[in-house]
Amino acid sequence: MSAATLRRLIVVSLVVLWELLPRLGVIPELFLPSLSSTIAAGWNDAGEYGHALAVTLYEVGVSMLFACGGGILAGAIVGSLPRPRVLIMPMVSSLYAVPLVILYPVFTVWLGIGSESKIAFAAIYGFLPTMLSTAAGIQTIDPQLLLAARSMGATLSQRLTRVIIPAAIPTVLSGLRVGGALVIVGVVVSEMLISSAGIGYLISRYRTILDSPHVFAGVLLVLAMAIAFNAAIKWIERKASIWQTGTREGQRAADEIQAGTIQPATA
Amino acid sequence: MQPLANVTPFKPGSRAGAIQISNVGQVFKTATQDVVALSDVSLDIKPGRFVVLVGPSGCGKSTLLMMLAGLRQQTSGTILINEAPIPQPDPNRVGVIFQEPSLFPWLTAEENVEFPLALRRIPRSDRRAKAVDALKLVGLEGFGKRHPHELSGGMKQRVSIARGLVQDPPVLLMDEPFAALDEQTRMTMGDELLRIWAATGKTVVFVTHSLTEAVYLADEVVVMSARPGRIVDHLTISLPRPRTYEMLGGETFGTLRDRIWRHIRKSA
Amino acid sequence: MAGLGMKAARVAVVVALFAIWEILSRTGIVDPRLLPSASDTLLTLVELLQRAGIRNDLAVTASEVMVAFILAVPCGALIGFAIAENRYFAEVAKPLLFFAFSIPKSIFLPMFILVFGVGFSQKVGFGFFSTIFIVIMSTTTAVESVKVEHLTVARSYGATRLQTAFRVYLPSMLPVLLEALRISMIFNLTGVILAEMYASREGIGHQIATWGENFQMKQLLAGVVMVAVIAMTFNELIRSVETRCSHWRT
Repeated sequence: MSAATLRRLIVVSLVVLWELLPRLGVIPELFLPSLSSTIAAGWNDAGEYGHALAVTLYEVGVSMLFACGGGILAGAIVGSLPRPRVLIMPMVSSLYAVPLVILYPVFTVWLGIGSESKIAFAAIYGFLPTMLSTAAGIQTIDPQLLLAARSMGATLSQRLTRVIIPAAIPTVLSGLRVGGALVIVGVVVSEMLISSAGIGYLISRYRTILDSPHVFAGVLLVLAMAIAFNAAIKWIERKASIWQTGTREGQRAADEIQAGTIQPATA
Repeated sequence: MQPLANVTPFKPGSRAGAIQISNVGQVFKTATQDVVALSDVSLDIKPGRFVVLVGPSGCGKSTLLMMLAGLRQQTSGTILINEAPIPQPDPNRVGVIFQEPSLFPWLTAEENVEFPLALRRIPRSDRRAKAVDALKLVGLEGFGKRHPHELSGGMKQRVSIARGLVQDPPVLLMDEPFAALDEQTRMTMGDELLRIWAATGKTVVFVTHSLTEAVYLADEVVVMSARPGRIVDHLTISLPRPRTYEMLGGETFGTLRDRIWRHIRKSA
Repeated sequence: MAGLGMKAARVAVVVALFAIWEILSRTGIVDPRLLPSASDTLLTLVELLQRAGIRNDLAVTASEVMVAFILAVPCGALIGFAIAENRYFAEVAKPLLFFAFSIPKSIFLPMFILVFGVGFSQKVGFGFFSTIFIVIMSTTTAVESVKVEHLTVARSYGATRLQTAFRVYLPSMLPVLLEALRISMIFNLTGVILAEMYASREGIGHQIATWGENFQMKQLLAGVVMVAVIAMTFNELIRSVETRCSHWRT
């Protein structure tokens, strides 16, 4: 049996088990509601979920603008200037070890429990990895390419637009991928902790009344959002595939772990 | 080899491609001390000559090349190319080819060759025509649409040479261009370079570590010593052209090679 | 690499940040009720560390982190080895793992509460869940980072399996594994603290969340500083060991 077939079988059987185990009572419905009852719960309250999704998407969109825009800009500056880089980078990567989620209560005190505190938290949450990976990407640009461009008489601005920016595109994209995913996590987690709207809020509210199907419907919706975002970035990366010469998906993920550029996706 | 539209053949008596290096010195200032990289180097290169610089590591031959390219300024002395100083890179006078092909991975071979023209905002159609000609000259006709990762090491270096030639500068500077290639490719590329040189009549200044390569390619070999970098010998290679593989085993070849080796062993 | 001057500059940056914080609060540019001054916060931190309750909270969090870590690392390493050593298994499992790795784990937190309640086991369970995927991925990378030439040399000199394991695999993998442990610890700590903040009766994460809800800014900021310092110190400790081992890899 080919590996791909077995893999598909595993995925299908997981889905089937998700339906069967709760139905047969092997797993209590409270722990894991069956797939059909989860979808039914979501479907019956589609309006409520749709409204929550709109709130969450708005917060994600604004945070992403701050996190990715600011992260890429700051990373480009820090990465291309050697002195600030040596000064700041070790501090930033040390800061990276701090579970940033402890900052969220501070934001709720400062900004209240509305969208502002979520946006502030998620923006900071996504900012660091985006900045780190952009800075690393700018740094890894082959200096030989810049020397070659200089020998052909390229001016400073030509070197920026024709060499540095194109050479940095793959790193910026992977920064966007990591940062964007974290922004989604940041928004949903902060909604789960303290809030009055959004999908995270729905998940938490249904959890307190032990309504598992509704909890799982919310979880599925967030999963779908994360997967859709990933797919969108992958599509852009494919469009820019010339830049990705010879880097395989696995290798890149491994590199990111090595470089420590992935902020824990757990919070 | 058919003549190319954008390549002006070398005219005897013209000063295009002449290089005059007079009393050039280079001092690197570090925090603790000043390092003299080059001391009182003078060299007169006539247009159309193939000159090879050899010497032990740290003798400043690459530094000298960077100064000829306008990528670095000398501390003292003058450098004239076409009877004018070169305060910054000037691709109309000098083309540079590095050890690494340094091709932009996101551009095709053709676009890489067009790159220096694009920097000067030359119209796209002119650019393309020149790039196609240059690629043909280095024997890469039909490979223009490929990206660097689809080319072998030797082919990449050919693209790099085409990029150096595309603006038809009278001088070509090459910094160990074949050092990263395997022996067979290296031999082939050497012959290719001689063919291109004969067809275009450029002045070539070529840095290498390989004594065989030096004697095989050069009209003149300039031997340098390290700390401080200075010229210790200047040989004229009288072997007839075209050079052939058989010459490598000949007596003249051996004598010349030995003479260079003795200098290098002494100063290393 | 970083000279003494750079280190001094870094210290200066940190001191400057604290000074700005102090000035903003003291001069009233920012409402001191929202941003208590740095000195007040640090005094509060000292006072907090003397309270038995807080020390208990720290002990609870530390034990949750340790138990989750001790469970997750061997399990993850074992799976990671299996994947790296068996090509078929790798082909089947890798895409699934990448998928599991890329989805946000924290949204499953409510599920852990539904299953485990809000006690110790829920934190450990969620910490384990947060950590294991990164351990699997890093172990796979570590095994794959062993150079084939080194294995060939060992085999050609007649090394036994055990000798190969201890003399080639382990030393080549050690730096990568240390890095993996460091990053796993970051994931683990984040997971446990989040779980404590979300639903718990004790632990430092729970305290921070409570101070936030009660608008106790001094305690809240002191707690943030405390957790940040602990996390960074731990991180730097592992990293210094890493640097010491790094000469093995070239």
